Amino acid sequence: MLALTGIILLMPDWVHATQMHSAKEGILVHQLGHLFFLVSMAILILTIQGKKLHMERGWRLIQYSALFFILWNLDAILVHFLDNQSSFISTRLISMSHIHIKPLEHHQGLARLYYLLRLDHLLCLPAMLFLHRGLSHLLQRKTP
Amino acid sequence: MIFPYMPILAIDVLGSLGMICIAALSLLKARKLRVKEPDNAIFLYLVWICSGLTLFALSRSFGHILKQVLLLTSHGHIWSAIAPYSGTINTVSFMLVGLVTLFCNQSWAINTKILSSRRALEETHAQLVSLNQTLEQKVMERTEMLTTSEHKCRRIFEQSLDTILVTDAHWRIREINPAGVAITGYAKNTLVMENMSMGQLFSSDEDWQRISQLIMENEFILNEETYFKGAQGNKLYVIITGGIDYGAFGCAKTFHFIIKNINEKKEMEEQIAQADKLAALGELSAGVAHEINNPLGIILGYTQLMLKAEAGNKETSPYHDDLKIIEKHVKNCKTVVSDMLAFARKDTLKRGIIDLNQVVSDVEGFVHNHADFRKINMGLDLFDQGPLNVMGNEQEFRQVVINLLINACHALDKKGDIFLTTQKNRSDEAVIVVKDNGKGISPKNITRIFHPFFTTKPVGEGTGLGLSVSYGIIKKHGGRIRAESEENKGAAFTITLPSPPDKGEY
Repeated sequence: MLALTGIILLMPDWVHATQMHSAKEGILVHQLGHLFFLVSMAILILTIQGKKLHMERGWRLIQYSALFFILWNLDAILVHFLDNQSSFISTRLISMSHIHIKPLEHHQGLARLYYLLRLDHLLCLPAMLFLHRGLSHLLQRKTP
Repeated sequence: MIFPYMPILAIDVLGSLGMICIAALSLLKARKLRVKEPDNAIFLYLVWICSGLTLFALSRSFGHILKQVLLLTSHGHIWSAIAPYSGTINTVSFMLVGLVTLFCNQSWAINTKILSSRRALEETHAQLVSLNQTLEQKVMERTEMLTTSEHKCRRIFEQSLDTILVTDAHWRIREINPAGVAITGYAKNTLVMENMSMGQLFSSDEDWQRISQLIMENEFILNEETYFKGAQGNKLYVIITGGIDYGAFGCAKTFHFIIKNINEKKEMEEQIAQADKLAALGELSAGVAHEINNPLGIILGYTQLMLKAEAGNKETSPYHDDLKIIEKHVKNCKTVVSDMLAFARKDTLKRGIIDLNQVVSDVEGFVHNHADFRKINMGLDLFDQGPLNVMGNEQEFRQVVINLLINACHALDKKGDIFLTTQKNRSDEAVIVVKDNGKGISPKNITRIFHPFFTTKPVGEGTGLGLSVSYGIIKKHGGRIRAESEENKGAAFTITLPSPPDKGEY
């Protein structure tokens, strides 16, 4: 046994124990992160519903916030899928005022959808606003 | 396709800044909620989720703004280098938010249980506080009731005119009320502190043995009559009811007694019975005396006539001595009959105000020189707060006192002490006490001494009419005569006479 250990240590060679990762894996992890966030928001909505907290305005607003975060996650997943994951869309900034969106096989509708999806703050900002309003209502209610 | 870039840029930059501001404000609100209800785990979760979202907003907004700046300044290659890091931070931040949310779902259930347990605990606590308050209230009410009850019982104990007495299991007196102290004549300290036994109050050991035996056998006694011995040696006729208290709430076994002093009632009953009997005897004696008196008068008259006829030849007459004997015995008989009539006489002699001190003093002076009283020490203790006046016949009172002194002299066998006392009692009545230390009167005779012809003297030495005549005289004057005696320790005769009416009344 000692002899075998000695041979292994004295005769080293290349090993391939560490797997190399490409950029694709990064975007997949990011997409899974969005999916995870989406699922967690869905669970939050169901939990509030299950506990009948939605009868209270504060919690109902938090439910709306979670709904907008779900929509935002769907938006983000779709955008990442179109431009990072599947390369259905490629973009190029032409100037300060214009952007060129080039869809695969000239699907103009896809380009328009992509343009709208890029305005994702229109979903996440209301989500944050609903959260803030919900918390304000909870703070204003009387202590039980 | 070419699209306007400005809306994307504006919404991206402004949205990013808005996200940072609103996330920070939300975190602030969540922290306030947490401060407001520190025990609520849900608000802790909200703090965490807001922290995660703030981190997410910061990293994402920073990334977006930086991206726009770099792209617009034609530094896209720099953004390409930074983008993976920004994306990673974004990923981590919203995964963190997701993790917190999922964790929250579990902690929410735990928190619900904690809250429901807390609510139950608070309800139980409230119930306990309420019960405690109710208990305190009840304790206060019961204590008040107990105090009132104790006070009531104490008042009954203190104010009762009958003796209430409590002894321990060894018959040692532990409690006695003022009535008990009054009738026994002992100081309370002597009775209670000096461990005096119940048995010591009894006049006779046999009685005590009998009564204690009855209690032990039956656990109670009801209306047992017996004699108590007072502190001054006086006898008290009492009626006892009592029982055993085996004790409760850790109290030791005790005996409880209620003792009623029926001395006066008993004496009165005895006197009434005696008076009734003597009244009947008086009626009988008067009838008998009247029937005998006339034949005796005839016998005496004829005897004296015959003696007169024989007066000239006394020496030669063979009947003279016999007639003399007849005359002597008839005279004796007449004296007896006269006494019997005196016993039964209602009212004949003249009455007036008499000073009993004077009567007693005169009689004492009279008998002092008599041969039978020479070896007798006479003690005289007269009422010294003025004359002791009564309404009556002086001769009769003298006769009564002389009768009592003669009886005392016989009881002493002509050697001993006689005490004569006059005083006034609480009812302002005049009292004469004739007391000797002679052989006394046996209990079986004491109820008969006022009967006519009752005597303990040998035949021929007494007629048995002295005390009955005295009784008749005292009753006639509205008074009472009472005898007390212990065998071999002497006897005391107490005469009580009403005080005379005011001048206007006679």
